Amino acid sequence: MLRDRTIEIYTTTLLLASIVLLFSFIVGSTFAWLIHNVTLPFGSLPIILSVLPLAIPSYVLTYAWISIYPGFNGFWAAVLILTLSTSPYVTLVAVASLRRIDFTQVEVGRSLGLSQLAVLRRVIWPQMRVSLSAGLLLVFLYVLSDFGAVSLLGVNTFTRNIYTMYRATFDRNGAAVISLALILLATLIIALEFRLRGRRTVIKSHAGIVKTHVKIKIGWFRWPLLSLIFTYALLALGVPFWVLTTRFIQNSESIDITSLISATFSTVIASFAGATLAMVFALPLGILLARRSGFIPKLAESSILLTHALPGVVIGLALVALSSKFPWIYQTLPVLAFAYALLFLAKAVGSIRASLQRIAPILNDVSNTLGITGFAAFRRVTLPLAAPGILIGFLLVLLTAMKELPATLMLRPTGYETLATEIWAATSISKFNEAAPYALVLIIIAAIPTFILTRPDKSDSQADSEGLIQ
Amino acid sequence: MTSLEVNELTIHFDGRPIVESLSIEVPSGAFAAVLGPSGCGKTTFLRSIAGLITPSSGTIRFGTQLVSISSLVLPPNKRHIGYVPQEGGLFPHLNVAENIGFGVGKSENIEVVDEMLNLVGMKNLATRKPYQLSGGQQTRVALARALAIKPQIVLLDEPFSALDAALRNELREEVCYLLKERKTTALMVTHDREEALVSADIVALMRHGQILQYGSSRSVYSNPISPEIAVSTGDVLLLKAERDASNSIRFALAQIELKGEIEIGQLVIRPEELIVSAEPSAAALSAIVSKVDYYGHDAVLQLLLDSWPEEEITARIAGPLGFNVGQKIWVTHVGPIRWFGLPDKK
Amino acid sequence: MRTIKATILFVVLLLTVTACGIGGSDSQTLTVYSGRSEEFIGAFFADFEAESGIELNVRYGDSAELAAQILEEGENSPADIFISQDAGALGAVAQAGLLKKLPNELLSLVPATFKASSGQWVGLTGRVRVFAYNPNAVTTLPASIDDLTDPSWSSKIGIAPTNASFQAFVTALRIIRGDEATKNWLTKIVANNPKLFEKNSQIVEAIDAGQIQLGLVNHYYTWEVSKALGREINVVNGFFGPGDAGNLINVSGAGVFNTSKKQTLANKLIEYLLAEKNQKRFVSESHEYSVLPNVITPAGQPTLKEIGAPVVNLDSLKDLKQTQELLIKVGLL
Repeated sequence: MLRDRTIEIYTTTLLLASIVLLFSFIVGSTFAWLIHNVTLPFGSLPIILSVLPLAIPSYVLTYAWISIYPGFNGFWAAVLILTLSTSPYVTLVAVASLRRIDFTQVEVGRSLGLSQLAVLRRVIWPQMRVSLSAGLLLVFLYVLSDFGAVSLLGVNTFTRNIYTMYRATFDRNGAAVISLALILLATLIIALEFRLRGRRTVIKSHAGIVKTHVKIKIGWFRWPLLSLIFTYALLALGVPFWVLTTRFIQNSESIDITSLISATFSTVIASFAGATLAMVFALPLGILLARRSGFIPKLAESSILLTHALPGVVIGLALVALSSKFPWIYQTLPVLAFAYALLFLAKAVGSIRASLQRIAPILNDVSNTLGITGFAAFRRVTLPLAAPGILIGFLLVLLTAMKELPATLMLRPTGYETLATEIWAATSISKFNEAAPYALVLIIIAAIPTFILTRPDKSDSQADSEGLIQ
Repeated sequence: MTSLEVNELTIHFDGRPIVESLSIEVPSGAFAAVLGPSGCGKTTFLRSIAGLITPSSGTIRFGTQLVSISSLVLPPNKRHIGYVPQEGGLFPHLNVAENIGFGVGKSENIEVVDEMLNLVGMKNLATRKPYQLSGGQQTRVALARALAIKPQIVLLDEPFSALDAALRNELREEVCYLLKERKTTALMVTHDREEALVSADIVALMRHGQILQYGSSRSVYSNPISPEIAVSTGDVLLLKAERDASNSIRFALAQIELKGEIEIGQLVIRPEELIVSAEPSAAALSAIVSKVDYYGHDAVLQLLLDSWPEEEITARIAGPLGFNVGQKIWVTHVGPIRWFGLPDKK
Repeated sequence: MRTIKATILFVVLLLTVTACGIGGSDSQTLTVYSGRSEEFIGAFFADFEAESGIELNVRYGDSAELAAQILEEGENSPADIFISQDAGALGAVAQAGLLKKLPNELLSLVPATFKASSGQWVGLTGRVRVFAYNPNAVTTLPASIDDLTDPSWSSKIGIAPTNASFQAFVTALRIIRGDEATKNWLTKIVANNPKLFEKNSQIVEAIDAGQIQLGLVNHYYTWEVSKALGREINVVNGFFGPGDAGNLINVSGAGVFNTSKKQTLANKLIEYLLAEKNQKRFVSESHEYSVLPNVITPAGQPTLKEIGAPVVNLDSLKDLKQTQELLIKVGLL
């Protein structure tokens, strides 16, 4: 009986994660292709619209959908919500790697008689594969560890089960067993991704000036294409915005401005501290993973990714068990920041590693021959060149930490309320109207890092022209 | 400045020897070129001199200073060398002036950078980022950056390979001039035979991790120690010939008395050693022009000697061109006869 | 580079300052872990602080998750008092030996049904399981939970099987009828194809929206949802016949930690929350029942006596493990 059930949970989780993976791949890569290759109207609005849903917590999105469509429930509802929430990760990664591809290669491909599609498959895809598969892995792990959407929509995944177990037994023993199964599943997927990724191929781009990328002009047809992105934005941004504002207006009890402001500051401070700490850990790890290959780095990478797959409540309780032994640090901001760093390290390490791998080793050699070695070389060469990647990692952690709930509830200093905990406090008693101002502020402040993330990275094009990409 | 002495250097990579028992000596202030095809180990060799690769055995000396013995090496930052990698290796995040001043201490930075900017003529581009520079400008900055630390030795890895021909000649002259003026000992690796011969005082021919011949450009060009080296330093006519009854070989252009045991071998002649004339003369042999390749400053003629119809031979003549296909002409040979034996076919 | 340095410095400073600021607690400060949300208890805390001069450091959270956290903390818990939304979470913490027996003055205020037999926790407010229904759609009200197994209710009922309140009800049912009968009832309910929800409030919203006609919830959700939506809703509470397991009364309650160094202050807070004026306030503001005898009942609701709740020792609601296994077996979890 119980074994059947485990199989059922396995199937549900795997199916949900796989379908969301597929859909967010389709959505993300289509949008990335459109944004990169087609002259769409409204400047950078299309990319902002297709990435901004990163700022919306999946639980807020789910609430919004349920409230406009009360029958919204079940597996396919969760597929929709999670696809909406995760495709920005794919879009972001895909746009970034498209921007790095030397356009002359596309021209050469076309001149050699390849069709647009064949160029995509034989020239562009091989260069995007590594970063895209890493992005898709993050999507998969996101689905594994998501609680908000699956619990509200009644989809029985591992994470929801772990929560249910906690509610029943109030301690980790029962949940640990399910967590183990989850870890097993995540390990398999990570191993699969390692395999798929293959040897991290380094693609050497020639030196010299990269030709300006020419976008396709497609006349009236850009409108239906643009409407794809608009439809997505409507579902992922429009729905929560509309619900939040109408609920807010319908029943505008006076907003508690003081607590709104203090929660905003608390959110910014905690997530900022978490993102900074994540960078402190991620930098050496990123260097290790970028420079060395072999068993130890692989092990390190896998465990970072596994942490990402575990629900926040598991990591949160583990940190409670650990840090409560040290009363002077328990439930202080540093521990909360540490929890964020641990939970979202995978995002930080991933982008740092990628940017480090793009630094030509010759630059370090030249620096050495000029008498600049060790930390000085790191500071003067590696760090500035990796800065865009470090910034991206920082922003991703910042963004996710702002929305984080379970670990925040357990580890924040007592009395320290963030926007996420305020939203939780209001929604847990169905006061959606009271959650509205907090949710709106959360979306707005989370939009700032999201906005920075969508900017074309100038240093990347510089890097290209310098043969920085090896 | 200082001399460079490499002795019995061997470098392994993945257990495979890339450089084997290599020895070379570059006198102080000289410009040496290592010429070899890609994959011969020349970049590995250069990087070992820079201290970026650890050899398995052998020694490297800068003047009297031992910088590398077996696998005990002085780190690159202690060697005081100017390294100009392929394609410049400029720091993309720094502008021209910052690139040049990268290895120079704070106190003298402004002064040195200024001097170097003047030296390479890039004063007005000091604040440009590398991606805003042309290939030639990038090479100049890379050289200036290397020279800025007043290196004992400058190492150049294919410095001109990414440039077009006209720019290449101009820049090559400029770089040679700069290095000579500052009496800098320099070692360049290249696969371009013309580049090596023109710029270097000393040319070393490298093949499969070993130096085959080493000497002044002129001696390497005119006295190759094998047909292979002759080919790698310039165009050649390789003519097969066999020993005849009179213990000599006869070739239409020459009669050579043979010493030793060689039965069969190759005669190596440079195309420019053949003098072509429209008028008959006493020693000249008659021939018919079968093909003309016109290069402007010179031309290459394919000829068929009336007395040697088996093989076409090539002659290089200076322009202006006065010959046409099918024309009858007269050929004489001026210069050394180089005869190399081939391993016996039996 | 400079900005990076400045940022790091700023963050480090910030962390140190906040760490010090929050770490310091003087003797007049109580740390409260509250599973009851701020909305429903924050004002009481504020008044208590004003009246007693004791400062409260309140950590709000989900009752079950707080219980899990408390069990992880064990003897290192910084908390002085635990206020929970349901008896189960309190029971689990008490069973782990983390709660101290409350003084008799406090225990004697509350009838035996609303406190732990060990005296380790005491109820604060009572909430009754009801069926919420659409009065236009439902004409014949069920007299017992067994009526809901009738095929005429097929696809018309909503339940929240993952919710602690539903699981407490099933646990009570097990205690009253035994596992086999409970399993039978659940199986029949499942056969009636109920709509499953995560939260009680979603059930009430679904009734209001006409998706279902009836749902098993706690009694106060009809007010909550109406308030959240800002309008009257088309949902009213109904009660099963007296003694029916569907009328279970659960409590929110409080217990004081063994490890607390401020147990006297903590007891004062419980005493304050049990004072008659505050009990009345719970009744009028959150429409709950008072745990004290002879205090007013929520407007428009029958008295506890009229409801006739089943007799169940609330202590026994703590072990939900078997209940969950049962729910898994019938396919509700």
